[in-house]
Amino acid sequence: MTDQTALTDAELLDYAAGQLPAEVMATIAARLADDPAARATLAEWQRQNAALEALYQPVAREPVPDRLTDVIRRAEAEDAAKATGRPRARLWLVAATIAALAVGAGAGWFARDLTAPLAASQTLAANAMRAYETYVVEVAHPVEVAASDADHLNAWMSKRLGQETRPPDFAAAGFTLMGGRIVPSDQGAAALYMYDNAQGQRITLYIAPQGASSTTAFQFAQQGATSSFYWMDRDLSYAVVGTVPREVLRSIALAAYDQLI
Amino acid sequence: MTVLEDIKASIPALRRYARALMRDRDRADDLVQDCLERAVAKRHLWRGDGPVQAWLFRILINRYRDLQRQSPQPGHLVAIEDLTYEPAQGGNQEASLALREVQDAMARLPGDQREALLIVALEGKTFDQAASLLDIPKGTLMSRLARARATLRLLTGRSAGPTLTKGPSMGAMK
Repeated sequence: MTDQTALTDAELLDYAAGQLPAEVMATIAARLADDPAARATLAEWQRQNAALEALYQPVAREPVPDRLTDVIRRAEAEDAAKATGRPRARLWLVAATIAALAVGAGAGWFARDLTAPLAASQTLAANAMRAYETYVVEVAHPVEVAASDADHLNAWMSKRLGQETRPPDFAAAGFTLMGGRIVPSDQGAAALYMYDNAQGQRITLYIAPQGASSTTAFQFAQQGATSSFYWMDRDLSYAVVGTVPREVLRSIALAAYDQLI
Repeated sequence: MTVLEDIKASIPALRRYARALMRDRDRADDLVQDCLERAVAKRHLWRGDGPVQAWLFRILINRYRDLQRQSPQPGHLVAIEDLTYEPAQGGNQEASLALREVQDAMARLPGDQREALLIVALEGKTFDQAASLLDIPKGTLMSRLARARATLRLLTGRSAGPTLTKGPSMGAMK
């Protein structure tokens, strides 16, 4: 093998890295025996590696500065807040249920399927938001029966839904009842109550019968500026819809839940 | 391990690589912090396609290149007081290189050669990994490595052999 040409840099780099098949490594090793310049180059590279290691390896053993670990800590705190945020909402629902049962709301239901996303509930949100979009723009006839005619409104809604139905009170959130109307739903007639506040913002509460009894946790849907919190409770499904900030809508949904159970 | 834990575990290696690239401790940690902030902001988009550390190195390298473009520092010289590590004195000069010389020489390497040499020689990446991290073809990586090593050898006064007769001009090295 003494008549081989000098080893190239590429060959030497591969050889030094040990990233070649065994037989090629052996061939290069044999050629190195007759190539003192290549041997010197390899030795020099090893010294370079050792120098770089001596210079910079200690950096990896230094304590990490706080400003770097802080970046991670902040992100961990964010994630932790998000992770506990959701269960807290569910716990609230369970707590509300227990409270409601305690005051004798009758038939017990249990916190089952609280998180199961149901196709039916998505239809519910879509129907409720469509009803909102249809009637909220009405200036002359936003409702069929005005709140001033409460007895008539309650009798009518209860009859069409097949059970006693009264609109909840959202005064705490600044919204007062304008009135209601009957709207179609997948499972028959649904009630649509409309409320407004001092600024003229309107929200609706949609109450529709369900084909089957099921219960879900609050869910949130958004379409453009319109958003909805909706849930199912036994044989009725509910959705509050509006363009108000999410937190406001949420407090209204909670009030509705409290009063409707 | 969560992505955040993976990111945290990569900090020492990122600091080591950044320090070797930038030399200055604060500027190196600035680079790492920038990299971490970006990674953390995008952690929910991380799809898990490969090691988190490789993703971080890519972010760091891209950021380093941005900095190089903004304020290129051709052959920036190093004040002795900038040395954070006391070079070994004496010893067998045949067996070990003077660390200060190597540090100075590294600073005079073009950025792309420095990136390549450090990712392989210091970070221990394979050629394939290194080429992928630096986003260059393997052949380009190999030639940068060869030039970096030759330049380093030359600048540390240990040049030997006819392959290095081009002289130390950076223009000739590019």
